[in-house]
Amino acid sequence: MRISSKWLARYVQFKISPEVLAEKLTSAGLEVEGIERLGEKYEKFVVGEVLSVRKHTNANKLTVCSVDVGSKGGKEESLLPLQIVCGAPNVAAKQKVVVGLVGATVPRNQHDPDGKPFVLSKVNIRGEESFGMICSSYELGLGNDASGIMVLDVSGKVGTPLASFLGMDDVVYEIGVTPNRPDCLCHLGIAREVAASLKKKAVQEKIVLHEDKKSSVKKAISIEVKDSKGCPRYTARLVTNVHVAPSPEWLQSYLKSCGLRPINNVVDVGNFVMYECGQPLHMFDYGKIAGKKIVVRNAAEGEKFRTLDGIDRTLSSDTLMICDAQKPVAIAGVMGGMNSEISDATAAVLIESAYFAPSGIRKTSKHLALQSDAAYRFERGTDPNGTKSAADRAAMLLAEIAGGVVNQGVVDIYPHKIKERVVRVRTTRVNKVLGTDLSSQEMKQLLSPIGITTSPGPKGTFLCTCPTYRPDLEEEIDIVEEIARLHGYSKIEDKMVSAIDFSQHVSRHSEVGTLRASLEGLGFNEIVTNSLLDLELVAPFSSDIVKIKNPISKDLSAMRPNTVFSMLQTVYHNTNLGIGDLKLYELGRTYAKAESGEPASVVKGYREREILSLCMTGRREPTGWHSGAEMVDIYDLKGVVASLLGKILLDKFQFICYDSRSPLTEQTIAIEIDGTYIGFLGKVKAELLKRFSVESDVYVSELSVRDLIQGEAGVKKFVPPSKFPSVKRDLAFILGKDVLMEAVERQIRKSSGALLRDVTLFDIFEGKPLPEGKKSFAFTLDLNSGAKTLTEEEASQVIDAVVKDVCREFNAELRSS
Amino acid sequence: MSEPAAELVRAIEAIRNSAQQSASLVASKDDLEKFRIEYLARKGKVGDLFEQLKTVLPEEKPALGKELNSLRTFVDELFNSASQKIGAASAAKTSFIDLTLPGRGKPLGTRHPITQTLDDLRGIFSSMGFGVVDGPEIEDDYHNFAALNFPPDHPARDMQDTFFIEGDVLLRTHTSPVQIRVMEERKPPVRVIMPGRVYRNEAISARSYCLFHQVEGLYVDRNVTFSELKGTLVAFAREFYGRSLKYKFRPSFFPFTEPSLEMDITCFLCSGKGCRVCKQSGWLEVLGAGMVHPKVLKNVGYDPEEFTGFAFGLGVERTTMLRLGISDIRLLFENDVRFLKQF
Repeated sequence: MRISSKWLARYVQFKISPEVLAEKLTSAGLEVEGIERLGEKYEKFVVGEVLSVRKHTNANKLTVCSVDVGSKGGKEESLLPLQIVCGAPNVAAKQKVVVGLVGATVPRNQHDPDGKPFVLSKVNIRGEESFGMICSSYELGLGNDASGIMVLDVSGKVGTPLASFLGMDDVVYEIGVTPNRPDCLCHLGIAREVAASLKKKAVQEKIVLHEDKKSSVKKAISIEVKDSKGCPRYTARLVTNVHVAPSPEWLQSYLKSCGLRPINNVVDVGNFVMYECGQPLHMFDYGKIAGKKIVVRNAAEGEKFRTLDGIDRTLSSDTLMICDAQKPVAIAGVMGGMNSEISDATAAVLIESAYFAPSGIRKTSKHLALQSDAAYRFERGTDPNGTKSAADRAAMLLAEIAGGVVNQGVVDIYPHKIKERVVRVRTTRVNKVLGTDLSSQEMKQLLSPIGITTSPGPKGTFLCTCPTYRPDLEEEIDIVEEIARLHGYSKIEDKMVSAIDFSQHVSRHSEVGTLRASLEGLGFNEIVTNSLLDLELVAPFSSDIVKIKNPISKDLSAMRPNTVFSMLQTVYHNTNLGIGDLKLYELGRTYAKAESGEPASVVKGYREREILSLCMTGRREPTGWHSGAEMVDIYDLKGVVASLLGKILLDKFQFICYDSRSPLTEQTIAIEIDGTYIGFLGKVKAELLKRFSVESDVYVSELSVRDLIQGEAGVKKFVPPSKFPSVKRDLAFILGKDVLMEAVERQIRKSSGALLRDVTLFDIFEGKPLPEGKKSFAFTLDLNSGAKTLTEEEASQVIDAVVKDVCREFNAELRSS
Repeated sequence: MSEPAAELVRAIEAIRNSAQQSASLVASKDDLEKFRIEYLARKGKVGDLFEQLKTVLPEEKPALGKELNSLRTFVDELFNSASQKIGAASAAKTSFIDLTLPGRGKPLGTRHPITQTLDDLRGIFSSMGFGVVDGPEIEDDYHNFAALNFPPDHPARDMQDTFFIEGDVLLRTHTSPVQIRVMEERKPPVRVIMPGRVYRNEAISARSYCLFHQVEGLYVDRNVTFSELKGTLVAFAREFYGRSLKYKFRPSFFPFTEPSLEMDITCFLCSGKGCRVCKQSGWLEVLGAGMVHPKVLKNVGYDPEEFTGFAFGLGVERTTMLRLGISDIRLLFENDVRFLKQF
């Protein structure tokens, strides 16, 4: 909302700088987002009078002028008037001109092809000194005439700053008005706030109407409101003998300051009143109203209507319309129609000043995707008791500036008067909420300047009568807020009384922190990705996708069903940047429609899961003098997952190899806790890589964070380390190629019994001298009784048993060294 | 002197000479070992001579034995000095270590800047006695809007452009619905923060993204005041932004709090002088807050006469960007690892 300083000054006197005013408004809750000084670029440009002109002795086309610029020439008083060399053919004595003084920035240079601005300085032109410049309208950015200097009306007072001569010396405040304060969408509303901050009162200008006693608006128009819920009040006035013309300068400059385009005196008066008191008006060409009748009714479903902007709209049955005897002439509160628009030929103006119900206007505006200044105000709530004075004000101005004749009387359909709300306020309650110690007297004094009148209430309370232009004031807490902001937030003490919450919602953040720290130690970079994806991309992989009804774009049209897609997008993005070695992790959610029988997370029918996802691709380690360029494989990721799970779950988890539950990967290993599936790891399928234009192998894992944390091993129990050294024995078996390591290890554990502390696979070998179809596994067995040092014989007994069992079970033989 | 004795004397002399020559040629451990075997082993040349001693006359033995002992000492010394020589050489060879080579360490991973900010916020509020609660991102209209005093068809809803799923289900536009869920589940006192991801249907640009993270705070109990809200926010801001921080509170509007405020702190990028980031104002808006609206308390079955409370919320991305000097929010979601590795 743009507020003009000059306009504001009509209702409240203030002598503070724009910055101070902005600060006051901001601390009252009306955030000033910007201050614009309109005349700023015309600093050091003044109105001057050419006193005399003589030819330049050394240049044919130049003249040397003596120019009176008042006392602001920037030269010693005695040297005034200024001598200025001028090249324009039209310069002559007695002209009033615009003089740029030394130091002024000329907005456009007419000798520069790009018209760049330049700064004036004192110059010597072929032997004649020049103290400034007489400007053309092109140079000032006020027009395109560069052929000669701009000659002003003789009435211009010498020495007047150009900005004020042009009426551009205004300061405009850009104010962010929150949706609860429709009363501040106009100059009077802001004036009330300014006045309150200065302990003054804002005063509206007096409305003086000279009605034509011979005419009568009631004879000229009949008005019927069929929907008094949607339109609780409809006020109208008629002004005849109007002469449509451009508005006077002062009105145009106000509107321009507020960012409005002046159109003609009738339309401009409507806008002026709206920006003055917040009441949107509609100006109908009375001549185009058929049957001298206005009917306020709902549209027929599918009815067509062409609005002022020339667009055909399709209406629905709950759209409130203003109609004449034959046809709709406006969409109530939103926009008028072309068929009743003010034109140069308009001779009589019907002023509509109504109060429409906010929710109806909002529905219509949303439905038609049509915003307007009027709809913006109506949907936030205008003052139902301000329609008449707004209509009067518009009629008065039309009479003043458009020569109109105000017809006698006003039509005012207002069956159920909307009364001012009375709110009971308890002094103790105010202080209890705010933590203050204000007396009721202080509270009342704070409320009075913004139009809230107070009266005594039952013991310990007072009654506040809230003006109807403040629809946000409904109950006690609203008054509490008014008191707080008018008192000043800064005056309320910053107090903190500590309180600890022993909530049953214990944060599991420490376990998540352990996961993060472990992954970072393992060299993984955390990523945070978009949880919205292209529906087409994800649809083939999942049937229960959550779709966005109103996506910003096609590529963000679904909630992700897994995190693998996000990973692949990230891999693609980085690979394109030339970074192919990646270890990434993300803690994020996946989303699905909950299948029947499956409990939803919170909102019925939907499920959200917290997922830890991992991704490895490219080289195992950064290439260096001590490492090669081996690429990661499934064992790298398996090792990472095993380390992580071991940290949280100890040995409570199982790897299920050759799993087929993940549709996205091959070489898949599932992870279970006591038979419950908590996730997988695997190699992303080639077809999926292709879909994401990723060329290198990518290994991913998804783990359910909730299951991981719920399965946490809890307090770890102490196992005393053995005081005796272990006996370590190495065994190498020659086995068939397809024998699984896990099976052999399990047999070793089984056969070696209680003395085995650990078994480690330390070598795998294939090829010569081993026969075709064979491989060798070499294990180290760590034997320890915990109670004593094992003898050679005790160890050999275990080893013999292991060798015998493994050879028998797997048709293996011991490999001699 | 007997013939055998004379021969032994000649042999002693010959070995003395040859050993000296051999020792001078020792250049490696292998050479040294060969030298040892040739001369000093049990069956070596010196040992052989002790065997020959048996062949001389008894009266000649003491003198020749002495000679032989002296030979053995001499050869031992040759061996020792040769051994020292090659030891020093090999030591010199292995002592060259290029300490300028990079170490074998593996690069550590990094935590995303958003998470780092969230960790810091959680840490501060935990120490102030706030628990941490989660809520769903897929929400219903009631929790996201209606229960928070956003009436249907109210322009306040325009403040938050919404993604809709179907029916009254939508993606939450703020973390405030978690307030409702927590209060529905529990009786006061409630003192929690609610971090999470929220969505806005806004075109993606340098300044806005379709999703971001918020941290919401809620404290409801008997005698919670606006003054306490201010005190809590100041304590938080001092801890988070720095002790020397200057701050101010402005009235603002949120449907679910009243009175509402926004907190500004001195722009720490320009120390309040005015810069591009603070739009020349010298102030940065860091959070919104207010006293929980009595209607909201009623909606969750709390008696607003008995209980009062405050709520606050701040944007994690904005905070992160301000702290790190990041000007384009999209950087946070592109996951360029060259960006991530900086943190």
